[in-house]
Amino acid sequence: MRNLKRVIGILLALSLVFALAACSSQSAGTTGGNGSANETSTNAAYRTLDEIKEDGTINIGVFSDKNPFGYVDENGEYQGYDVYFANRIGEDLGVKVNFVSTEAANRIEYLQTGKVDLILANFTVTPERAEEVDFALPYMNVALGVVSPDSRIITSLDELTADDQVIVISGTTAETYLTENNPEIKLQKYDTYANAKNALENGNAAAWANDNTEVIAYALQNPGYTVGIPTLGSNDTIAPAVTKGNDTLLDWLNDEIVALGAENFFHTDYEETLVDTYGAEYEDSLVVEGGVTE
Amino acid sequence: MNWDFIQEYLPLYESAALLTVKIGVAGIALSIVIGFLCAVVLFFKIPVLRQAVSVYIEISRNTPLLIQLFFIYYALPKIGIKINPEVCGMVGLAFLGGSYMAEAFRSGLEAIEPIQMESALSLGMEKSQALRYVVLPQAVSISVPAFVANIIFLLKETSVFSAISLMDLMFTAKDLIGQYYKTTESLFLLVVFYLIILLPVSLLGSFIERRLRYAGFGS
Repeated sequence: MRNLKRVIGILLALSLVFALAACSSQSAGTTGGNGSANETSTNAAYRTLDEIKEDGTINIGVFSDKNPFGYVDENGEYQGYDVYFANRIGEDLGVKVNFVSTEAANRIEYLQTGKVDLILANFTVTPERAEEVDFALPYMNVALGVVSPDSRIITSLDELTADDQVIVISGTTAETYLTENNPEIKLQKYDTYANAKNALENGNAAAWANDNTEVIAYALQNPGYTVGIPTLGSNDTIAPAVTKGNDTLLDWLNDEIVALGAENFFHTDYEETLVDTYGAEYEDSLVVEGGVTE
Repeated sequence: MNWDFIQEYLPLYESAALLTVKIGVAGIALSIVIGFLCAVVLFFKIPVLRQAVSVYIEISRNTPLLIQLFFIYYALPKIGIKINPEVCGMVGLAFLGGSYMAEAFRSGLEAIEPIQMESALSLGMEKSQALRYVVLPQAVSISVPAFVANIIFLLKETSVFSAISLMDLMFTAKDLIGQYYKTTESLFLLVVFYLIILLPVSLLGSFIERRLRYAGFGS
């Protein structure tokens, strides 16, 4: 009798797992094919522009540990380049902004599950990501960069030996780029910026690869570190992202970014949030105004 | 469900599962040793050591594993002690598990009426003999269920290792979701692999539990 109960228990557990499998293969099947883009659009849980306005609050996903783009200051307030923009969006929509702290790896999930209406977490536009979410017009330029301690500055990926590890943050473009183009490099992966920086300071790896904006800021703020590789890979842009199919919000955002271009909003944003870190010299190369890239 | 994706990334999960099991087994083995020693110290009420053990148990049981790992991995290097992530995971698990195992052993030891110890002593047994032949066999048999529960608990706790850059099952799944956005597939594999690891442990546990039941006094 006791045996029977146990067998039934295991069977139930297994059937639950396969039910999960069956469910999701079904939803992929009904939308025709295994393209996940289709799949997400059928069960996307997003709020339209009107629903957000009616609710009076917009949920915006930002980083809480990526100074100076999105971080929490000593008073517990969200600050940074992305946050400055987020606050303006709230103002122009006439709603309150509810900041939701995200990690790099769960930005897409947060949109797909409707946890946030909008991601403004320094989100680099890539073709793969564009299949999963909808990007608005860009507001910043970015490439990859590599920072390393002054004791051994890495100026080329070839300098890395078989023993060297490179820190990346899970779910970033740096991780994808190195996985695809330099599979021989051993990656040490962290889930948050805070942990990655801590690991670099503890000397756990030879270098840290990330968005060049981030590593430049890091080297400027932390003496003893130098950006040996200032650009790696292609030049990309950073843009707000909404849940796939949320056209009302996307259209409004695009209009907003174009309109803000007229008043040079993103230059003001730079001067308010980034100038202390980067100085004036990076202003024109970093900022994208009105969604227009060269 | 994209089966090609599952096939392509299955090897990643396999190595992650191996890592999880490796750290889990080492950590649990260490925690059993620590737990046993602590329980013996508490049982015999050895002065000084007893207080130290109590302090350790309270700290270990009342702080999350994540905090303990953070401390070992991020804070200790600041004072010059650098440990690689795998060892750090084992030490963290042993630190957490030691106290739980100690409590499991202790509850078993305390369940044995003092009169049994006294009787054994009055029959001329040494204290160590009484412990070995009278108290421990019963105590271990009583603590087995708590023991098995602890082992499963500790194996599941390995899922916070992502914080110290260990590519365990949980981090592998999170990482794949972050890179390729295949949430369903990644989570499906995660559940399957945790079941593959934990189901046999839980079955073996209940088997052993039944086989050891005979040792109990009066049952």
